[in-house]
Amino acid sequence: MWRRLPALGVFVASLALLAASCGGDNNELILGATTSVQDPGLLDEIVRAFEGVTDYHVKPSVGGSGEVLEKARRGELDVIMTHSPADEDKFIADGEGLDKRPVMQNFFLLAGPETDPAGVRDASSISEAFERIAGAQSIFISRGDQSGTNLRELSIWADLGITPQGQPWYQESSTGQGQNLIVASDKDAYTLVDSSTFTVFVKKVGLKALLTDTGNPNIYSVIRVASDKHKNVNAAGAIAFAEFITSRAGQCLIADFGMEEYGKSLFQPAARCPTSNVGG
Amino acid sequence: MDLIWDGVTEALRLIFSGDSYVYEVTFTSLLVSGSATVIALVIGLSIASFLAFRAPPGRTLALSAFNAGMALPPVAVGLLVSIMLWRTGPLGELHLLYSRTAIVIAQAVIATPVVAALSTAALQGLNPNLRLQVLALGASRWQAALLLFREARLSLLAAAMAGFGAAISEVGATIMVGGNIKGSTRTLTSAIVLEVQQGDFETAIALSFILLAVILSIISLFTVLQQRRPPA
Repeated sequence: MWRRLPALGVFVASLALLAASCGGDNNELILGATTSVQDPGLLDEIVRAFEGVTDYHVKPSVGGSGEVLEKARRGELDVIMTHSPADEDKFIADGEGLDKRPVMQNFFLLAGPETDPAGVRDASSISEAFERIAGAQSIFISRGDQSGTNLRELSIWADLGITPQGQPWYQESSTGQGQNLIVASDKDAYTLVDSSTFTVFVKKVGLKALLTDTGNPNIYSVIRVASDKHKNVNAAGAIAFAEFITSRAGQCLIADFGMEEYGKSLFQPAARCPTSNVGG
Repeated sequence: MDLIWDGVTEALRLIFSGDSYVYEVTFTSLLVSGSATVIALVIGLSIASFLAFRAPPGRTLALSAFNAGMALPPVAVGLLVSIMLWRTGPLGELHLLYSRTAIVIAQAVIATPVVAALSTAALQGLNPNLRLQVLALGASRWQAALLLFREARLSLLAAAMAGFGAAISEVGATIMVGGNIKGSTRTLTSAIVLEVQQGDFETAIALSFILLAVILSIISLFTVLQQRRPPA
């Protein structure tokens, strides 16, 4: 019987280890966020700041806007921060989300090789640039993942009446914002990327920012998942987060992000931050 | 090549400067993979003894399943486990998604077939008369099992190392069920993925070297244990 002791001991020890590594409590807030917020490092800072002023334990679930909205539709998330306006509006119209508030914005830009074979630099608009790329059949790397960036890119092709899918010069990487840029850089190709990620990655890639779409900003919004439709959603937590990110504390955090390292705000907050005089 | 050399020096710098982030993810890796391996050993060895010693009908079928389980795609396991743990899933009430426990579960599911399949082969390799002899001498089934485990320890320790290897090197399921959250569910492997996504290749390589060093140390310990000559 005493021979069994070690086996029993191991079993108890493993249960103890299991308990020690236990998670799951009612203070948990599952936040859906996009890779374009995580890759520059902003997400970690937002989570840290929010956890510093509340009792909530944030669990970020990161993906493209498409993936985030899909998870939210299943009630797997409490609150989301995405940048895909058409999809977001549909999300709310379908009764899945409430209380959409703008959080911050940046701009989309067309990155490409220094040599610029398609002559994008001389284009008068992003639309024309895309047309030139299709005409020159220069390699273009698409996110291909229904993310906010991807949908913006697809809408430009659609407006031009061009179907790039299936053409040899059009390649879909299906990776996050930062990685997509690295893939494009390796292939000396063009790609659409947001200005914040590009700023953070510019030293790591051989691409140049050839054309910025200043007329059409990339707007990030926070939306609470409809708690009446999904019973398990942490409604109080979602409200707390939405309040925080749109408060002066949250907005100034966004304004300050990147100041030290890059000399400018990587994201423009929706409201003006009085101390750093950015945004609004 | 510069990048790899830079990675090595960065790894040494991170270890010796006591960088808390690195120690945190290393600790998480060891905690979850260690727990998963223990669970895999308990369940795997139980299954192995049952299949090897009791030779039930349908043993070959069961063994085929476990052997196939060694090639189970970890990312598919991760997807299945996360669907189970979703709020809308059957185990949603437990609130386990994006926790260390979830990772332990996923890694245990991946490691158990490895341990079970290899242990069964190890135990089947023993002389069947040995078990009969030991039982005839008055040993209980438990005592016989432990004695036979000791006899087969060379192969069983190999099975344990294989199980641990499967758990600690796992990344797809870990990220899917764990969420790669800083301070709780970020392991060495998932941290490497994040560093790559953020373009910090030097750090990614450094973490890879640290992971290799950790694995080498633990497996070496086990190997020494395995190769130790029993007292004459």
